[in-house]
Amino acid sequence: MSEKYDVIVIGAGPAGLSTAYFLADKEYNVIVLERGLEPGSKNVFGGRIYSYVLDKYFPEWRTDAPIERWVRREKLSILCEENSVNLEYQINRKPNGYDSFTAFLSRFLKWFASKVEEKNVTLATSVRVDEILFRDGQAYGVRVGEEKLEADYIVVAEGANTLLLEKHGLREKISPKDIAVGIKEVIKLGKEKINERFGLEDEEGSAYFLISPKFGGGFIYTMEEYVSIGVIYRPLFNNNVEAKDVIEELKMHPSIFNLVKDGVEIEYSADIIREAGYRDVMLKPYGRGYLVVGDAAGLTLNTGFTVRGVDLAIESGRLAAEAIQKTSVGEEPSIYMKLLLEGGIIDTLKKFRKVSKILSNQKIYTDYPEIICEIFSKIYTIEEYPETLFESIKKVVGRKTSIIRFMFELLSMVRSL
Amino acid sequence: MKKRAVDERLALTKFEVYSEPHIILRRDKCRGCSLKICLSSCPAGLYTLDESGETKFSYEGCLECGTCRIVCPENAIEWNYPPGGFGVQYRFG
Repeated sequence: MSEKYDVIVIGAGPAGLSTAYFLADKEYNVIVLERGLEPGSKNVFGGRIYSYVLDKYFPEWRTDAPIERWVRREKLSILCEENSVNLEYQINRKPNGYDSFTAFLSRFLKWFASKVEEKNVTLATSVRVDEILFRDGQAYGVRVGEEKLEADYIVVAEGANTLLLEKHGLREKISPKDIAVGIKEVIKLGKEKINERFGLEDEEGSAYFLISPKFGGGFIYTMEEYVSIGVIYRPLFNNNVEAKDVIEELKMHPSIFNLVKDGVEIEYSADIIREAGYRDVMLKPYGRGYLVVGDAAGLTLNTGFTVRGVDLAIESGRLAAEAIQKTSVGEEPSIYMKLLLEGGIIDTLKKFRKVSKILSNQKIYTDYPEIICEIFSKIYTIEEYPETLFESIKKVVGRKTSIIRFMFELLSMVRSL
Repeated sequence: MKKRAVDERLALTKFEVYSEPHIILRRDKCRGCSLKICLSSCPAGLYTLDESGETKFSYEGCLECGTCRIVCPENAIEWNYPPGGFGVQYRFG
């Protein structure tokens, strides 16, 4: 590895591969360095990718990408102590391109990497970058163990754990209150059981967004033969359950148990999620000789209901590639920020800037779900002398907070989402 | 389907264990900490207390999520990824 490249990309995740892909299109000599044995070996996500971004740049993707199922059922499920309250959105007509599919990120990245390699990008796996090399404030290469590799540009796509950026003083360590840990288990159930239990036809998938007073947020995505089930664990919450046990707690809830019972667990995984949203966007995700893309730069988004990681990562990678093309070697690729603004990523993040505050408010997962559970239980439990809906609400809410305060909080929440 | 302990769950995941730990606990800094939030927030449950009440850590089942590094209030955790090709290898990430 003594050759000099035009661009070195650190990390074969969605953002890094995207940068490499679009640069290779323009005849740049690119190498992608990935620390896993294969692309995707170190990546974890919940389970969904939005199609629009692939439609835009990879017209043939629907024929060969590793798509598990097309999401046609979106479900919000509040897990009460024993019961659950569910809200389902059914997508019956095939949407016009603006759909989404479930996937395993590890497999998707292998597919993406194969597309990148077709463009003559060098992909070196099992390579951990130890340091970015700077000379007079200009990044000019990377160090891998004893070896040095040089390039005109270094693209940092190291993901949510920004070890390299922190090492070089380019980013501060994120505050513990701004992170969550995504903890996931993949369970093999078989196609028939999945179709039957989730009410799906072949190729149709569902995405569940779970809220539980016991452990916060969670998700279920149905794959072709598997179910990906997970918890979004916030370490700083006053948690009743330790992180290592949350998956078991989730599976033991009667509503969830019925979905996954007699399945075979096949993999357990975890990764951190940066949840600060707009506040987390790097003010200057570039400098002389380097650019930062994807999660590392804070350029992914949780809107509260939907999580947009892969699509936005691919977009930021594409824009970084464009910025490199438009910058003369040795100068700051400051046009990158302009492209991010024009491309709408930063505006979108700004629009949802209040969401992170809601998601980091423990009440969202405890008080409100408990209130909803109690109200529904009162409505549907027929006693000899039933209460009216208003009486029930007043009683239940009154125990936790005042009605006026509740309405006020609810309103401010709705306005932020 | 029964409740599994975390060790059983970790046995499902593929690891290429390196001969040396990639995470080092600085005992001097760790000792004074009363919070010990690492104990509850590691999804692999790799932080435990020994008989004398000191925190110990085993690196073999590390999922490389990085949570401990971020939550540790004492900066007592020297955290790096395992060398290239080692550590956790997800197939269904």
